[in-house]
Amino acid sequence: MRWFWWFGVVPQLFLLAGYLHDLGLPPVDVSVFGALFLAWFAQVRALPMLLLALAIGRSLVDQASLPVHLLVIGVPIAVLLPLRALFVAQHWLWQAMAASVLAVVIPKLSGLCARIFDQPAPVGILDPWQVFWAASLLPPLLLVARLSPPFRAFTEQAEQARRVAA
Amino acid sequence: MLRKSASFPVGLYAILLLALAWLTLPALFGPVERWLVGSATAVPRLASMWFGRPARAAGRDDLGRVEELRAELNRRVTRQNFSAGAGVIPVAAEKLLCGVLSASRVGGGGRMSELLLDHSYAELEGCDLVVKGDQLIGFLMRPGQGRAIDDLPADPARVMLCNHRDAPRLYASVDEDGGGGVGGLRVVVRAGSSADPAPMRVDLWNDPYQAAQMDESGLLVRTRALKYGATAQRVPGGLLLGRAKVWGYDDQKTDDVLTIAVYVEPLFEPHALSHVVLWRAPAVRGGRSSMMRAHRRVSGVVYDLPGADRGRHLLVTDTGVPDGAAVTQEGMLVGVARGLCLGSGLATSFGASRRRWSLLFLPDGDTLPAFEMSGVVERAAGNVAWVRWEGPPRDQLPRSAEGHLFTGSNGRFCPSGLWIGRARVDRLDRDLLEVRSPVTRGARAVDVLVDPSEAR
Repeated sequence: MRWFWWFGVVPQLFLLAGYLHDLGLPPVDVSVFGALFLAWFAQVRALPMLLLALAIGRSLVDQASLPVHLLVIGVPIAVLLPLRALFVAQHWLWQAMAASVLAVVIPKLSGLCARIFDQPAPVGILDPWQVFWAASLLPPLLLVARLSPPFRAFTEQAEQARRVAA
Repeated sequence: MLRKSASFPVGLYAILLLALAWLTLPALFGPVERWLVGSATAVPRLASMWFGRPARAAGRDDLGRVEELRAELNRRVTRQNFSAGAGVIPVAAEKLLCGVLSASRVGGGGRMSELLLDHSYAELEGCDLVVKGDQLIGFLMRPGQGRAIDDLPADPARVMLCNHRDAPRLYASVDEDGGGGVGGLRVVVRAGSSADPAPMRVDLWNDPYQAAQMDESGLLVRTRALKYGATAQRVPGGLLLGRAKVWGYDDQKTDDVLTIAVYVEPLFEPHALSHVVLWRAPAVRGGRSSMMRAHRRVSGVVYDLPGADRGRHLLVTDTGVPDGAAVTQEGMLVGVARGLCLGSGLATSFGASRRRWSLLFLPDGDTLPAFEMSGVVERAAGNVAWVRWEGPPRDQLPRSAEGHLFTGSNGRFCPSGLWIGRARVDRLDRDLLEVRSPVTRGARAVDVLVDPSEAR
């Protein structure tokens, strides 16, 4: 059932984020949000399928093909995942730093993959406001998401136990 | 346990490897991708029944002029392509206008060296030379021979450009005196290597001393007729190959150039070519007459995807549509489709697209020709897009040029001549075109162009 909710809800978050931005709210990059959740909070065994749903959602708003989105989101996760053990307690400052790094890396990686695999490339201009909003908004959003379905069902149990103990 | 699996996540690495395999074998994984992404469009498709906003499309006044503009474009393109001088064309030769589907295979100068045409080898039987106006573009390949050894007569014909590694060497002359290449330096031109600074290089010259004195780039290089040899009788004299490019060292004191090599830069960009002309000898009767391809149309409806970037649409049709199919409304380009499952698709408008386009720019007035160019949308704001273009020499396109922008040939399902919008050269950066697509609400119905072979 949790998988049904994950594949039903997560791809639509990309459209929802854009819709809310159209209404005047600050932009939220769901790719960065998803990558951060998967890298630091999600169950490691479930990562492949969780990543697939994120890539499908990104395909709705970006012209590149699905495997490119898998790489663009998956490679930063593969880099950040070993750091999960180092940044014990996941202080919000680390999350903000990681979010701002991902807000730069994911568009750059997207452009690189587009060049290598002959895919439509995203706009190469980096918006500093995107980085700012990623660093400011994503830590509280991650906190809320970890308490709400469908993210709660995929949060690593050790992480949940740590949160309860705290 | 957590630390161990986090430091070596096998599943994650496996799906990243799968993604690489997916990119290597797109045909194998294509149907899976269509279903996965198509199923994610079920929610917006359902929502569009109640909340769907009409896709942005042109108003009646704009659409009314599109047919008129397309006719004008067609007239000017035909005139340009058939404008070879009377002395160059073989007497009574039949001229066939063909569309270019794609350019591929890196050749001399790092440029593409092969074209794929929208006509088959069988239809072009008896043709050999491929030209555009008085420019020599290349040579038609022969099915079952050389590089086209695996091609069949019914396959789309391929053309090797002059920078193709298998292209014949050409006898030419550098037009030093401006006299049409008659009295200039005579040279042999061959395809350059991919690392060369231009697609073709001069191999031999009749007067090395005179060649060493060349210190000026930009001189025209034209073919000369040969009486003997492999290309004898095949290439007539007077066809334009390009402009000479002198490569060497500048002498700081005397402003002289120590010439090391001379290259030839063609006046066209392979990606930008929309049409070419083939000559057929009058004695050959087997081929069909020249005609441009028609396309079968599938009716559909487009909706703005809620929250997606401007210009990203949900496309709903009765049948599946191929990737890259043009979504049109009465001759105007609404976008390019990406086919998904169950009649769903995603359409991306020109302004939101990030792909390389082959384009035709039709300047206002009758004095300037239609320019073939390739370009990528660099940024967009509202209904204005800025396209970084390349193709025609900068000096040919005036800084104040304004006109209309059309699609060039962008693959099998996106033919040339679809109106994109009003365009002008950007005032600050002349390598940019500012394109305004008329956008209003209202029309929902669109046509998607699909398999052209069914509508020949």
